[in-house]
Amino acid sequence: MYNEVYVNNKVRKEYKHLLANIGNLSPDVIKRKKSEAEDIIRNIGITFSVYSNTDMTEHLIPFDMFPRIISALEWKKIHDGVTQRALAINAFLRDIYHTGEIFRAGVIPSDLIYRNPAFDVKMIGFDVPHHVYAPIIGSDIVRTSKNDFYVLEDNCRIPSGVSYMIENREIMMRMFPDIFQQMKVESVDNYPQHLLNTLMSLKPKNCYGEPNVVLLTPGPLNSAYYEHTYLADTMGIELVQGNDLYVEDGITYMMTTVGPKKIDVIYRRIDDKFLDPLSYDNSSLIGIPGLFDSYKSQNLTIASAPGSGIADDKAIYSFMPDIIKFYLGEKPILNNIMTYSCYNTEDRKYVLDNIHKLVIKEVHGAGGYGMLIGDRASKTNIDLFKKKISKNPSGYIAQPILDLSTVPIFDNANLSERHVDFRPFCLVGSNFRKLVSGGLTRVALKEGSLIVNSSQGGGVKDTWVLADKDAK
Amino acid sequence: MLSRTAENLFWFSRYIERADATVRLLEVGYRISILPNTDQGYRNEWEAIIESIGSKEEFIRRNRAFNRKNIEYFLLFDKQNPSSVINCFSKARENIRLARTAVTLEVWNAINTSFYEFSTYTGARYTTKNLLEIIDIVKRLVNTIRGTIVNTQLLNDGFDFLTVGTYFERSDFTARLIDVKYYILLPSSDYVGSANDQFQWGMLLRSISSYRAYNWAYGTNEYSYSRIIDLLILNMDCPRSLAYSVGKISEHLKSLVNYYNQNSKAHNQAKVIFKKLKNQTPDQISNYGLHEFLESFLVQMDDLYDCLNQKYFRGI
Repeated sequence: MYNEVYVNNKVRKEYKHLLANIGNLSPDVIKRKKSEAEDIIRNIGITFSVYSNTDMTEHLIPFDMFPRIISALEWKKIHDGVTQRALAINAFLRDIYHTGEIFRAGVIPSDLIYRNPAFDVKMIGFDVPHHVYAPIIGSDIVRTSKNDFYVLEDNCRIPSGVSYMIENREIMMRMFPDIFQQMKVESVDNYPQHLLNTLMSLKPKNCYGEPNVVLLTPGPLNSAYYEHTYLADTMGIELVQGNDLYVEDGITYMMTTVGPKKIDVIYRRIDDKFLDPLSYDNSSLIGIPGLFDSYKSQNLTIASAPGSGIADDKAIYSFMPDIIKFYLGEKPILNNIMTYSCYNTEDRKYVLDNIHKLVIKEVHGAGGYGMLIGDRASKTNIDLFKKKISKNPSGYIAQPILDLSTVPIFDNANLSERHVDFRPFCLVGSNFRKLVSGGLTRVALKEGSLIVNSSQGGGVKDTWVLADKDAK
Repeated sequence: MLSRTAENLFWFSRYIERADATVRLLEVGYRISILPNTDQGYRNEWEAIIESIGSKEEFIRRNRAFNRKNIEYFLLFDKQNPSSVINCFSKARENIRLARTAVTLEVWNAINTSFYEFSTYTGARYTTKNLLEIIDIVKRLVNTIRGTIVNTQLLNDGFDFLTVGTYFERSDFTARLIDVKYYILLPSSDYVGSANDQFQWGMLLRSISSYRAYNWAYGTNEYSYSRIIDLLILNMDCPRSLAYSVGKISEHLKSLVNYYNQNSKAHNQAKVIFKKLKNQTPDQISNYGLHEFLESFLVQMDDLYDCLNQKYFRGI
């Protein structure tokens, strides 16, 4: 297990200053600071929603005050690796919705794409504005040793969590202002401006002036609603819902107090299938009839493009290194995790024989649901998953159980080690890519747990990317 | 501004004002109920209070007795009562969550913190405070929210919708309060002018923070019918009077007309109502019949809401 703070019982140099400052705070001070942080979080209203069968409740995001530090050198690797993947993913999407060179070259079996439910046939042959399909990509990265960073998945539909990245920093700056004066931490608060620039750069063909950009939310019941309001607010754009919009003659309008106003770019935070009841799920109540038509008439940009989700499908994941090589001619900077596809007979046999050493994931699962961690699952559960895999092999993949790195949390007054992962957010504009120096560190609050999702006992931490001179 | 946002801001303000009005009403009931029960006293104040907010049927349907404990709970914490203070705060917060991008972070913080603070008094902790303390807490929270709006919001169209919402609710409440006083609390005109009548007016004025105002305006604490009508309906110096409220609504609808450079029927209708109030005397109202006057006022306000709704909230 890689401890990010202590190596061979010695504090790594990046953490020295921090530990000298907050490593031996008295229990009283820690308690006070903790409740201070909780007050800030509650008052700002940073909540996420958890769904159960009967009810939906608002929860405050559990925040831990011990920051995670990433050196400038480590960041360079993450930065280069993530932007590389972002470029490759967009090239891949453009290709598979057009001529499909990658199939002809025999790199990926075409069946894997064409028969995939995430592949949107309506997008075939359509030139999306500026050839950008996925303008915001949140890649989940885990670390297992000093130099080993792996990408678990690339979320390119509607990745969330970026507001926590910014708010966590805000909270830390209020609580430990002195440390920020002494350490050179890269700022993250310019993310909304970069996001807005990115969205504006993607304006559709039929928009001649400055584009009118809006954020489309499913509404306050959505688990990420807080983030939607945060981003719309900080970008200074309207936060709209489906019933604020309508389409007439291929043009999308929002209803305002002075009458209809044309919309050029929609940053949508709703799933493809709810976008437009005429083109997708016709029972969608939150969609806008005719929106897809408006998009195809080049009057509107939908970001991310419908059908982008195919690129973060778990079945495609194992091909990412080949995808990078094929489109960029480069070696992947960040590695993939060894992945066994259960539809492959050989792999399936290995998985069933070694299930206690593996994590089993549903291909279409998300949020830490629908997975099994072999070394700690009950026998009943293991038998259940074995049955499921045999019945529907293509619905499952397996990966070795990773020993995620740890960073301490304040467990009452003590520092104790917990597993973490990391999600930076890469922006892809018309002719630029931008990765703000930071990201969301998620932490499993339960001792020994590897599940960092906030819906299942995970919390968040501020992530400090150090400026160059501290790296030396 | 999105039509929905304008509507959210308007209703946010109404719910905040309604929370304020509800506790003020509760205060009237409480103050009357601690009166020594003289033979003149007609002790139906709690029933009257429920009736004035139009919840009597709902209250009776649920088989509750008209006593202080039930009514306190009903008005403050009952989630089944759409106008309870807890629901007002919760709906105000929901509205502002929907219009989050149209208000400052400070305003959002103020309503969000108020909602949480008030919520902590539900259940067991409620009994740790007496009624007057709770009433004071709600008034303080409402004043904090209002103050934050005035101090931090841009004075743009959003501010106009916020203000219009406040005065809509306030005029509605003042009109109902006067009506209750005359037609429910005192069932027979024999009581008018009696000691109990005087006391009740005093309480009512207290509940809308106008007790001192009466003295300042008329140089006496002797309540007369025509002065009360003047203060609560016609006086432009009293921030709770109908004339003042409608004046404010008209002023901010005019500001919207200028801001958007578009005429609106809503503003014309507000001007009509305001002019009518300006040209009245207490005697005229009295001759017309106070109850009838208030009823026709409320009908006109409904029309005004329709205009507002069509023009700004429905995008028609």
